[in-house]
Amino acid sequence: MQIYLPIAELPVSVLTILAMGAAVGFLSGMFGIGGGFLMTPLLIFLGIPPAVAVGTQATQIVASSVTGALAHFARKSIDFKMGGVLLIGGILGSLSGIYLFKLLAAIGQIDLTISVVYVAFLSVIGAMMMVESVQAIRAARGGTVTRRRGGHHSWIHGLPFKMRFRRSKLYISVIPPILVGYFVGTLAAIMGVGGGFILIPAMIYILRMPTNVVIGTSFFQIVFVAALTGVMHSLENQAVDIVLGFLLVVGGVIGAQYGVRAAEKMPAEQLRALLAAILLLIGMRLGYDLISTPADPYSVVEVEAEQ
Amino acid sequence: MRRFAAALFTLAALAALTAPEPARADQLVTDLSEHQVAIRSNFTGTQILLFGAVEARTPRSRALNRDVVVVVQGPTRPMTVRRKEPIAGIWINHDSVTYPTVPGYYAIASTRPLEVTADPDTLKALRIGIENINPGTPTARAIDGTLQILPPDEENAFWKALIRNQRRNGLYTSLPGGVTFLGQTLFRATVDIPANVPVGLYTAKVYLLQEGEIVDTISSPLYIDKRGAERFLFRMAHSDPLLYGLIAVLIAALAGWLASAVMNRQ
Repeated sequence: MQIYLPIAELPVSVLTILAMGAAVGFLSGMFGIGGGFLMTPLLIFLGIPPAVAVGTQATQIVASSVTGALAHFARKSIDFKMGGVLLIGGILGSLSGIYLFKLLAAIGQIDLTISVVYVAFLSVIGAMMMVESVQAIRAARGGTVTRRRGGHHSWIHGLPFKMRFRRSKLYISVIPPILVGYFVGTLAAIMGVGGGFILIPAMIYILRMPTNVVIGTSFFQIVFVAALTGVMHSLENQAVDIVLGFLLVVGGVIGAQYGVRAAEKMPAEQLRALLAAILLLIGMRLGYDLISTPADPYSVVEVEAEQ
Repeated sequence: MRRFAAALFTLAALAALTAPEPARADQLVTDLSEHQVAIRSNFTGTQILLFGAVEARTPRSRALNRDVVVVVQGPTRPMTVRRKEPIAGIWINHDSVTYPTVPGYYAIASTRPLEVTADPDTLKALRIGIENINPGTPTARAIDGTLQILPPDEENAFWKALIRNQRRNGLYTSLPGGVTFLGQTLFRATVDIPANVPVGLYTAKVYLLQEGEIVDTISSPLYIDKRGAERFLFRMAHSDPLLYGLIAVLIAALAGWLASAVMNRQ
């Protein structure tokens, strides 16, 4: 069954979109991620204009992160104070990301930017996760305990505007969380992702937050940043397709249920190694497109009438 | 014989009265199967039938070197063609050329190939044929956005690329032999409207040629527009983008909440 998307202005197969939503939802439920970094490239491969893919993806991220945040709220594993500080940076980042997106689209470099940023982040984070999870798997087999991080002081502790985050058991400056939030917010607006896959490592390795509050706090922050990004993409680029978004959300919600259950049967290290492999594969695929000779070096875009 | 001559004379006089153009020219009568194409949620492209008849004013010269050419053209808009070049191993959009008035859709069908229908100058003057589309004065820009002047053959490569791209998307089509005569006077042509068609006011022009000369032209409008929910959502996204965005986000948030409510119950 085909359905015509009013904003993307092309017909798509309902089943394909639902299946894509379910597959990504499954992975997002399994790994506790938003799944935007998987969905946005998939939508672009499908022929959805990049602006519409990114704008619409924001609504799907709102849905999945609301579900995630509510689950963590029930478990009391959200640091609201830290989430709020991250959010300040996130809002500023999202706004500048939208502006940057518009600018890059006008000069014709938005597709390239999206691809380059994806390749860079997916391969770096994928490689880091892979190394770490392989070490963890080895350590588990060898019976040795993995060395513990934390405790020791770093440059972050020298910064001013310190604040106490009780839930995270931290007393640190607000500058690093605001910067992290800003950075992730900018990426969220450009890449059509929630940014959890950057935010979570940043919270663990840079802010040194305890792992039990990291995912919940990340979901909490992403809900608002993604909501703002969605509204801003609609306002600035008219690039949110409600019909496409709705189909993705429906598929994603169903897929996530099964993903969560599947995750319970798999050990965490193997799960992380699998996610790392997926990240690396997508990164390599996009990277190959950047360097391989295009079938047609010319591309055509419609220009806004007022230009 | 005399009577016939007299009848012919009156007919010719009548023709001269009704049509001020060449007194003895044949005339076209045409219509479209649809004057409005509605894009609804189940739209996957459509076909439009154009049919018509040649009303012969000169019975003797019937169907001799007679050609019918059908041109369906969509609304024009500015379009930019960008060319990628490898920079440090990565393919990057480099030079670009913007054309101010590019038809978003152009379909041409004719009884015979255009080359044998009329001479190139006539076709060019009338802008018949994909190669003869007038996209307006192009402006070429370098990668940093500064204006530049490209040599004509290089600029032509951009224009050719645009045509190639539009052909690939099914938006520019040419169909020699796409107009078929049913007997001496009736003719028909089907025009494919793909799903990715731009919306707006289209014109369907029919040219009647005799010995390579235009004898008659007829033009009829065709509206392609979104309807129903598609129209409502598209309109709202453009007229009330803030409200539209808020609704989109709220629906998503609600779906997320619903999902967690269902999960908790299980």
